[in-house]
Amino acid sequence: MKRTFLKLATSIVACSALVASLNAADVIKIGVQAPITGKYANEGQSIDNGVRLIVDQYNAKGGVLGKKLEVVSCDDEGVAQKAAICARKLVNAGVLAVIGSYTSGATEAAQPTYYRNGVLQTSDGTSDSLTKHKYWTFFRNSFPNSAEAEFTANYFVNVKHYKKIAVLSDYSSYATGLADATVKALKKVNGNVIYRGKIKSGTQNFTAVLTKIKSLNPDVIYFSGYYNDGGLLRAQQIQLGIKADFVGGDSNDNPDFMKLAGDSAKGTYLINVPTPDILPYDLAKKFLKDYKAKYGMMPASIWTLLNIDGLRAVLHGVEQTKSTDTKKISNFLHTLKGFPGITGPVNFRSDGERIGGGYMAYEVQADNSYKIVYK
Amino acid sequence: MDIFLQQLINGLTVGSLYALVALGYTMVYGVMKLINFAHGDLVALSAFAGLTIYVEIFGEGKNSILLVLGVFVITALIISLVGVLLERLAYRPLRTAPRLSAVVSALGASLVIQNSIMLIWGPNMKIFPSNLFPSTVWNLSGVVFTFTQVMIMGISAILMVALYIFINKTKMGTAIRATAIDQDAAKLMGINVNKVIMTIFIIGSALGAVAGLFIGINYRGITFDMGWTYGLNAFVAAIMGGIGNIPGAMLGGILLGLFNAMISGYISSEWAETFTFVLLVVILIFRPTGILGETIAEKV
Repeated sequence: MKRTFLKLATSIVACSALVASLNAADVIKIGVQAPITGKYANEGQSIDNGVRLIVDQYNAKGGVLGKKLEVVSCDDEGVAQKAAICARKLVNAGVLAVIGSYTSGATEAAQPTYYRNGVLQTSDGTSDSLTKHKYWTFFRNSFPNSAEAEFTANYFVNVKHYKKIAVLSDYSSYATGLADATVKALKKVNGNVIYRGKIKSGTQNFTAVLTKIKSLNPDVIYFSGYYNDGGLLRAQQIQLGIKADFVGGDSNDNPDFMKLAGDSAKGTYLINVPTPDILPYDLAKKFLKDYKAKYGMMPASIWTLLNIDGLRAVLHGVEQTKSTDTKKISNFLHTLKGFPGITGPVNFRSDGERIGGGYMAYEVQADNSYKIVYK
Repeated sequence: MDIFLQQLINGLTVGSLYALVALGYTMVYGVMKLINFAHGDLVALSAFAGLTIYVEIFGEGKNSILLVLGVFVITALIISLVGVLLERLAYRPLRTAPRLSAVVSALGASLVIQNSIMLIWGPNMKIFPSNLFPSTVWNLSGVVFTFTQVMIMGISAILMVALYIFINKTKMGTAIRATAIDQDAAKLMGINVNKVIMTIFIIGSALGAVAGLFIGINYRGITFDMGWTYGLNAFVAAIMGGIGNIPGAMLGGILLGLFNAMISGYISSEWAETFTFVLLVVILIFRPTGILGETIAEKV
């Protein structure tokens, strides 16, 4: 009796394995986990669109390893709880790799599920903690906060020669993390941080803390928080007659920053990865042209392009290893060097971190356009 | 010294705004013994309504004193109307109900207004044009203040003095004070309590509307949930000064603004809020009814 059961069981397993391999023979499934609705909907939709565009282009050339690619999307709304559900759903759909998610929080919530099921994941989340777990399945296609911090510190000390630096953040984990990393990086290059303070996001009145900063007479005020506070900080700084430069971290790079700061926006410095339209690479120009032709608009931001590089690197891995074994592809990607990406060369470290870090410093002009001042 | 004077101006500006909002809380509490949690959201609604009136009806770009005055008056009228409606729909039916039911109704009304703002104007931040007031800045030996700041402090002071005179010198003011002391006795003396309550909602909402417009003009960015931030601070100010007491709300607002600025300036901005609440607790320990609050006889 027992033996019959065992036989039956093995045959069922064999059968399902056969079915699975048959399925696998037809297509390679690529998952997209992105905030397609909700607060970050324009970013999420843009990422989904971008992935579908690239997949169509591969399929038009006959797919990868002779197999067609198929996209499976899941909307996580940028929320951690939904991200965990998406991860389960995409794993069950049998995807080879997942592109996403957009926010660090949603990415981190999904990471363990992909890791345990051996599904590759590539995300643009910038939180340093994403690569701390050293999951072999995870690859970051953007650059971590610590890379921005190092760029900022180098720019302040070696390029601008600021003697007295004031650092402000809000209380969010992203902004405090970025500010703390920047202070740490500044100390490494002997930068003189004379003030490190926090503001409560949304309180709107920052004159008290700015007056305090004024009394310390800094050369620069660096703010690592978001544009809705950053624009007001800049406006109130100018209003109070504080002569220092104002430098905003990547989350200040938003049209609303300029609107809030009004006339004061001019002369502000922003630090971020390049905007899509100024990428110097031919691949970038081609991608933007194709995207515009298909969807009638430009991608929401650079984050779409970074995710596309993640996808292209994974597909490159499949082609080079001639295999859909994620472990093999992962090993290949961990030593990937100089793969030509849309956003510059793609190199991965053994913990899945993308090496390079193409940060730039912009100066806001009178007409609110950007001028690259350092890269 | 100039840093101290600068912080004084910073504190007085915010303090005036808190005081204007706090008056709405304290007047309603004084008469109805009800904390009108929806008051902060009326302030937010005023900012959005004012922006729409300015941009859509008058047309952005034109700015004469008369036009800006018109925006203030129309917005204040609209918000007063909403305030009266709020009282009729959310509070009057519950006037004889237990106190807790009215508080729950107030919280509900707050959510309704907040979500209505979100549904009408969207969840994203809206931005005021920068030219409602002239962008004049004065610099007196390092102490900087703007035209907008002077307007905020000046108009708030005028409104508060006018309110003080209204409450203490007019017949309606006397009726309001009488209703605050004892609603039933006031009724027996022939005072129309419904009219009194309607009046305080009109005045309180109009003052809140002025504060909301000032917030929009001074800080430019407005969000549908900003009512909570300003409402909470103003509520603390009202309690600090003695809730139910009109000069108390003014004093509480100014004090809160100044205290916040001084702590941020001389100790640390991270601790400003903590110290503010410590101050509130200390005041309530020594004067349980607030700084200017009258001692209320225990009702047995």
